Formats: sequence, C-alpha cells, structure tokens
Amino acid sequence: MNPEHRLRSAASIGFVLSVILVVGAEAQQAAREDGQWTMPAKDYAATRYSALREITAANAAQLRPVWTFSTGVLGGHEGQPLVVNNTMYVVTPYPNVLYAFDLTEEGYPLHWKYRPDVNPSAVGMACCDAVNRGAAYADGKVVYNLLDGHTVAVDAITGRELWKTKIAELSIGETVTMAPLIIGDRVIVGPSGGEFGIQGWVKALDLETGRILWTGYNAGPDSQVLANPDTFKPFYDEGTELGLTSWAGDTWKLAGVPVWGWISYDPDLDLLYYGTGNPAPYNPEQRLGDNKWATSVMARRPADGALVWAYQFTPHENWDYDSNAEMILVDLTIEGTRRRVLVHFDKNGFAYTIDRATGEVLVAEPFVDVNWARGIDLATGRPQLDSTKLTGASRGNVENICPSLEGGTSPASPASYSPRTGLFYVSTNNFCMSWEATQAAYIVGTPYIGASIPYTPGDGGHLGAFIAWDAVRGRKVWEIREKYPVWSGSVATGGDVVFYGTLDGWFRAADARSGELLYSFKIGSGVVGAPITYTGPDGKQYVAVYAGIGGDWFLVAGDVRSDDPADVRPPADFMPDLARHTSQGGIVWIFALN
Amino acid sequence: MDLRAELAALVLVVAACGGSDSGASTPPASDAGNRVFAGGVAPPTEHLENPFDSDTDAVLEGERLFGGMNCAECHGGGGVGFVGPSLVDGRWRYGGGDGELFRSIYAGRPRGMPAYGGILPDAAIWRIVTYLRSQPVPENVPTESWR
Repeated sequence: MNPEHRLRSAASIGFVLSVILVVGAEAQQAAREDGQWTMPAKDYAATRYSALREITAANAAQLRPVWTFSTGVLGGHEGQPLVVNNTMYVVTPYPNVLYAFDLTEEGYPLHWKYRPDVNPSAVGMACCDAVNRGAAYADGKVVYNLLDGHTVAVDAITGRELWKTKIAELSIGETVTMAPLIIGDRVIVGPSGGEFGIQGWVKALDLETGRILWTGYNAGPDSQVLANPDTFKPFYDEGTELGLTSWAGDTWKLAGVPVWGWISYDPDLDLLYYGTGNPAPYNPEQRLGDNKWATSVMARRPADGALVWAYQFTPHENWDYDSNAEMILVDLTIEGTRRRVLVHFDKNGFAYTIDRATGEVLVAEPFVDVNWARGIDLATGRPQLDSTKLTGASRGNVENICPSLEGGTSPASPASYSPRTGLFYVSTNNFCMSWEATQAAYIVGTPYIGASIPYTPGDGGHLGAFIAWDAVRGRKVWEIREKYPVWSGSVATGGDVVFYGTLDGWFRAADARSGELLYSFKIGSGVVGAPITYTGPDGKQYVAVYAGIGGDWFLVAGDVRSDDPADVRPPADFMPDLARHTSQGGIVWIFALN
Repeated sequence: MDLRAELAALVLVVAACGGSDSGASTPPASDAGNRVFAGGVAPPTEHLENPFDSDTDAVLEGERLFGGMNCAECHGGGGVGFVGPSLVDGRWRYGGGDGELFRSIYAGRPRGMPAYGGILPDAAIWRIVTYLRSQPVPENVPTESWR
C-alpha cells in the first residue's frame, strides 16, 4: 500500500465514521422533533434546523401560499414567528403588537392580540428602523422586548400581560430590538444603542416575576463586566480589568458595545453565548486601545452572569463591524478530533469556527470579499490588518473598504445549519464603502457616530448571495447570487431544502446539497425576517415567513417608503432600482405543498 | 477625555455664536402647520420671526451646527433623509415656515426628534432654521420613474 493510498483509506474511514456520527445525531434530532418553533432560532444551539421532511427537493416545486395576514405595521419585519400548541405568535416592529393566531381554525383567526403602550420617542432613538427580532416561549409565557426598553411576559393562552420590566434607559439611547432567550427560569436580554454611546450589557430576568437578577456589562471594570479573575479565562488575553484598560481614559463609559443579535446556550457546558456590537463612536481616534469587549463573543454562566471567556473578533474596531450575529453551536471533526465548536459569521467578513469551551479559534476564513485584513492569525487570534484601510478623523476619506458596514452578513439575517449536510446557510452582502471619520460630539439623547460612509457595489455585478459554508475547511460550497443584498434569515430542513427570502421580495426554496433553486414566489415586500417551518394541526409541514422590507434599507434606500407624504427621497446611487420592486409593508405568509 | 467638559465647551461655543441676539428662550406657541381650522378660523399664535432672514453667515453657521449638534446623524448629511425624514424635499410634517421649523427644533416632535431648546440658545436654532430654508428643493420630487 503506497502512502497516498493509505492516506485515502484513512480519509475514507474517517468519512465513514463521520457519516455514522452524523446519521446518529440526525436520528436523535428527528426523534426530538416536535414540529413546533418555541425559541427564536429553533433550539438552544441556534441551528434553525428542523428535522421535518415532508417538503423535499423532489416536491418543493409544488409549494403554494396557503395563508397571508397583514400586520398593519410598515417597519422592517425582522425575526420570526413562534409556533406553540397550534398557535402562531407574531411580534411586529414598533408598536410591537403581539398576535396569537389559532392554527386549528380555517383562516387562522386570532385568539387575541396584545397592544403594549410603547413610547413613540423610541422610533427616533433606534439607529436602524424600529425593528423587533421576535419572542421566546416557555412555561405558558410569550416573552419579548419593546422598543422603548421594556421586557414583557404575556400569558400564551389569554394574552394577558403577566409582567413588564423596564430593562433599558431610553433617554440615554438604549432601545431594545433583540429576541430574548429563555434558559431555564432566566430570560436573557440586551440593548441596542451602539450609535448613542450607551454602555452595553446583558441582563437576566426571572421568568416568573420579571425581576432583574443580574447585569453584566460588556465594557468597564471587572466588577461590572462580571469578570472574576478566578473564573474568567480568555484564550488569548491575560490580566485583569481588560474592559477598562483597553479604553483610553474613561471612554468605556460611552463604549457602545450593544447586544442586538441572538443568544445561544450549551446545557452541557452551562454557558450562554452572544456577540457584542460596535464600540462608540465610529471615529476610532476618540477611543484608543483594543476596546474590549466590543465586537466580541462572550461566554457567561446563566446563573450569575459570570464571564468565563471572551474573544474579540476585531480589536480597536474601525468599520462598524458589529459581532452581534448568532453563535451556532455544533460538534465538528477538525483535523481528526471531535470538537465542540461555535460557528460565527461576522460582519467583518470572516467566518470563525471556535472551540466553545475555551474560546480558541480553530478556523477563520473570509466568506465574502475582504480587504481590511489579510487573514486571522490563529496563534494570536488577531486580524492581520491592511494599514491603508484604517480609519479615523486624521486619516480623511479612506476609500474602497470591503466589506461595507452592512457586513459580509448582517446579524439581522441569521444563518442556519443542517446536520444532514454539515453545511451552514448564510445570507451575504456584496458592498464596499468609503469611510470619512469626523470628531463626534456626545450629546445625550442624540447619535454619537462621527463618520460619513457611502457604499459602492462589490465586484461581480450582484449585491448579495445566499451561500453554503463548510466550517471545517473554511470554504464556500455553493452560492446563489442575488441582484440585491440578501437580508433574510434561513431555515434548513430534514427534507434537505433550505428556505430564504430576498430584499426585492422573493421567497425561495433551494436544494440544501446543490444550491439548485427549487421554488420562488413574490411575497409583496422585501424579506428581512427569518423563515421557520412547523407541523400544522393537520400533520402537514408548513413554512412561514414575514414580508416587510426595513432595517438599514429603510434608511439607506429611503425610497422604499410610501406612507409619509412629507418624506420623499431619491433612490440610493449604489442601488437605484430597489424601489421598483418593493415598498414597505408587513405580511405574514404561510406556504405548504399543494 | 472628559466628555462633560467637551459638551460644555460645545454649548459655550454655540452660546457665543448666539451673541447678543440670543435673548431669553421663547416658549413654543401652538402649531399652525398643515392643519384644518374649525370654522375656517386659525387660532391666534405667537408670531416667531427669524432674525437672520437668509443671511449668508447664518447659513454657514447653521450648517456647522447641523453637523455639530448631530442633526445630520439622523437626517443624513445635507438633510437628505436617513433615520429621520428628508429636510430637503420641500415637504414638511409639521410645517416648513420659519416659526414651525423653530418649534420643531426647540420643543422636539413625537417619534424621536429631540427637543434642543434646553441646550441651544434661540439664535443658534434660528441659524439652523436659516440653513434649512436656504436648501434648494430638487425638481420633480413627486415622481420617481424607471422608464
């Protein structure tokens, strides 16, 4: 046997073993599949994978819309519905109405709707449209956040408000757009406000009462960050008070570092994971230092919030590369060893595969065109910077930085993972940008930014793509190019079909293995939400998705609104015809096989 | 960096540029805007007069304040619209006259327009109003065509 042959044999034995492992995991997952959707990302691991398999690559062309509902709200419909006990729960953007649809009756009439009293000032305090990323269900309660800084728990049967807790301070620029995660009896929440100079945090609330149990800041002294030197062991850093000493002077007090993305949880390690957002302001010369723990992944104990490890993706972040995108928890075989990892697609354009027990970076490769860094040094965990792409008020207008601040992917459009294919499904953007920083003035209650940032299209003639990613090898397996940036989340299924939507309003189904498009239907407005799948009372598989363009595209493509006769804008020069295909409008769609 | 000191310095600069004509703060009166008047009769309102008219220095200073007070961070550079509505399309939610613009900045508006009357002297607000009123309105605003 020649060495090459031996190598191949070893590889094929490895392949067989991994197939057995995958099949075993898949069988477990199929057995656990209850056809519901009770958490924002389906499960604690944030996979957005459902083992349902009535819809397959062979029959997906027979999908048809079976029901629609106008939410009556125009803002960006991010996030996803929940389906629990044959009821679908839908949270709208501001004013954050919660609808409960009875899926057992023809036409899915409402059981009830809940209309909270939300402070309208929050609309102007939210950086990027008055969005909401959804609710979580546990113990008979639907729990979600209001834009003006409250968390509410609503009785899932009656729609009565059980508790309402003020978690954020609107007057200093804290709003709340993220979806909570419920871990046991704890509700984990965090604020938006990276553009207002907040000092970002996460809080745990008691599920029963709404009482705040602990608050862990993302920057500041160890006592606020909950970084005890005995238990906080970052893989690449040493020393204490890192959240303080990595900021010039007292700039950590206006750190930004918000929590507007997704939270995941590993019950075996008893660690919750989330990504932090940009440091404030956008002019990096006003906050010298690494600015920990901005643009980082944080691993904390749910019981007391203790920080166990943290890793900073983009030290002294210069380009608004928030790291709020989801941390997807999977087990992968890397260089022959089974590793418990988290996989993260960062706005900075790199996809990271990280040991989720320690914070060690195992794989870090670009998943879109990147030019601000040449790569990630796995020995130090730090990016290898291109110094010509650094920004700051003294550097003038820095041109052609890729990706743009919309990110290689947006945290608003969470990826999915299929244990059947071993692939991650990711919505991507293809923009570059110029960055002209200026001195930012902190005036409480107003934005704290200090930069002008026009976009330009990236190479290739497309502004986005939906891709499949191999997180072991750090490479793209297939892609579907789209005319516009792809800003929807996705769901992967046991039928090897993956679903997503486009900014110009197409709902699509693709073959999870090949990337072949199987089905498309125009659903009335651009998609910035995340599709889900569930089993209806009739035993059939359904797929639900929101239409309703918004988020950043409400701001930068201001011509997609039609409701305000006193706000008429020309199209964005980098994307002059989006409004030809879509306007605002929130609609819930449900699809099934004919 | 002491941010409070920095803000205090900024407000001082603003107050200084207000000069002698800053005067006492003027409480906002009721808005006329694009309202319908019951009986066809407008209620009496306090008339607010812009002391700068279209003074070039006031326009330039107003532009500087529009950036320095973070107006552009919401309404976009040049007021073209971003999180907040466009201020250069010739369309106004709360009226586009001098007094109406003054009141919008002084007392704020619902849905997030902060009230600047507490930190800006009247003269500074008038300079921002003068800047906004000097902006040209593009032709053909109502129609967006792809053919």
